Amino acid sequence: MNDTLALLQKFNAHPDSRCWYVAWNPKGTLLASCGGDRTIRIWGREGDSWECKTVLQDGHQRTVRKVAWSPCGNYLASASFDAKTCIWKKKNDDFECLTVLEGHENEVKCVAWAPSGNLLATCSRDKSVWIWEVDEENEYECVSVVNSHTQDVKHVVWHPTQELLASCSYDNNVCVYKEEDDDWECRATLEGHTSTVWGLTFDPSGQRLASCSDDCTVKIWKECQPEGGQEGTDAAWKCVCTLSGFHGRTVYDIAWCPLTGALATACGDDGVRVFKEDETADPDQPAFSLSAHVPKAHTQDVNCIAWHPKEAGLLVSCSDNGEIAVWNYQSGV
Amino acid sequence: MDSVITQSFHVEGYRKGFDEGTRQGMIDGRKHRASHGAKLSTEVSFDYGFGITWKCLLQNNTDVKARKRLKALESPLGLILKFPHEEPQYENLQEDMEKVRAKFRLVCSLLNVPTDFSDYVKSGGISF
Repeated sequence: MNDTLALLQKFNAHPDSRCWYVAWNPKGTLLASCGGDRTIRIWGREGDSWECKTVLQDGHQRTVRKVAWSPCGNYLASASFDAKTCIWKKKNDDFECLTVLEGHENEVKCVAWAPSGNLLATCSRDKSVWIWEVDEENEYECVSVVNSHTQDVKHVVWHPTQELLASCSYDNNVCVYKEEDDDWECRATLEGHTSTVWGLTFDPSGQRLASCSDDCTVKIWKECQPEGGQEGTDAAWKCVCTLSGFHGRTVYDIAWCPLTGALATACGDDGVRVFKEDETADPDQPAFSLSAHVPKAHTQDVNCIAWHPKEAGLLVSCSDNGEIAVWNYQSGV
Repeated sequence: MDSVITQSFHVEGYRKGFDEGTRQGMIDGRKHRASHGAKLSTEVSFDYGFGITWKCLLQNNTDVKARKRLKALESPLGLILKFPHEEPQYENLQEDMEKVRAKFRLVCSLLNVPTDFSDYVKSGGISF
């Protein structure tokens, strides 16, 4: 492999606790992280390194599991084990808590903003997925509660261009949701993984979905038109590729680079991997090869991986040991 | 000769045991069904009462928010009214109950009402 993944910087982001998630703001100027210490930290670039600009510490009473930036970059949502989701508004270098979304019965596992900026999705250990609408006065209201999973829902992700949502769960399935008559419904259940599905990511065009699992594999799903397609019939999602034999342990997170199409994974074997798609493969039977691998990227489980939205090859990961690592991926081709 | 007698005792013993087990099973099953049925109907009637109360409170209110909440209430109330109370073998029971529960969680969120009704209802589905 003449492709490389080089460490640029590693720092202790959440001392004495887990760093659960990292997210770049849409412009790529700030990095938000959250962790087991119940805080959210905002990191900004100072020359070649990343410095902590703000610490949001009074928002949650328990672990903050995930954070998500609004598409405009002015708001940050945080999902916590205290069953609440906080919406923070950015005011210069500081953030103030605008509102708290309540309703889940227990730990909120994920929050995600739709590309339109008008919708938000949350999911929880209570097995439900909630869709919230934001109005012009910045008021948040729940529009749907969907119980399609039979176990803890780990992650939700929005399609990059359509109003379509996907979720994954401890029940080994992925669900895809669409709005019908003001109500959100599960339109497809993607079965195939043999254990908990931890993460999901759409490809830049939104035609394919990648999932990663406790079964140590990554699956690529594609929406296929049904035969003799009747109008209004939902397309089915089929698994078109499975990456197995690459990961030694649970794959906790996966990210598809919006700029280069490379696929990065975060693994319970402490490693970070990047996969490249084979350009010559049949689009209905894609093939990926391992392009770069850092076996001991961290000293403990890697929980999250995120590509920079503007700078190709810039990648960030975080770990159970509280650290964040910044990487530069370069493809030789 | 011995083995023929032993064999017939085995057969009779098995038959008597099976009959006794069937009888006891029916008694236990009936108790179980009655208990779960009662829990489920307690939950459904509570939800119905809750929904109707809010419907009465909101229906004379003309503002946009109240209209939205009334509309959200229509769905679970409609589902409950369609519930086949006389059909214990109704195969969509679990699915419909999940829909009703999800709709009520949504309504509670819109009304800003906490959903802890454990003083009134012990719900959570049927488990085996």
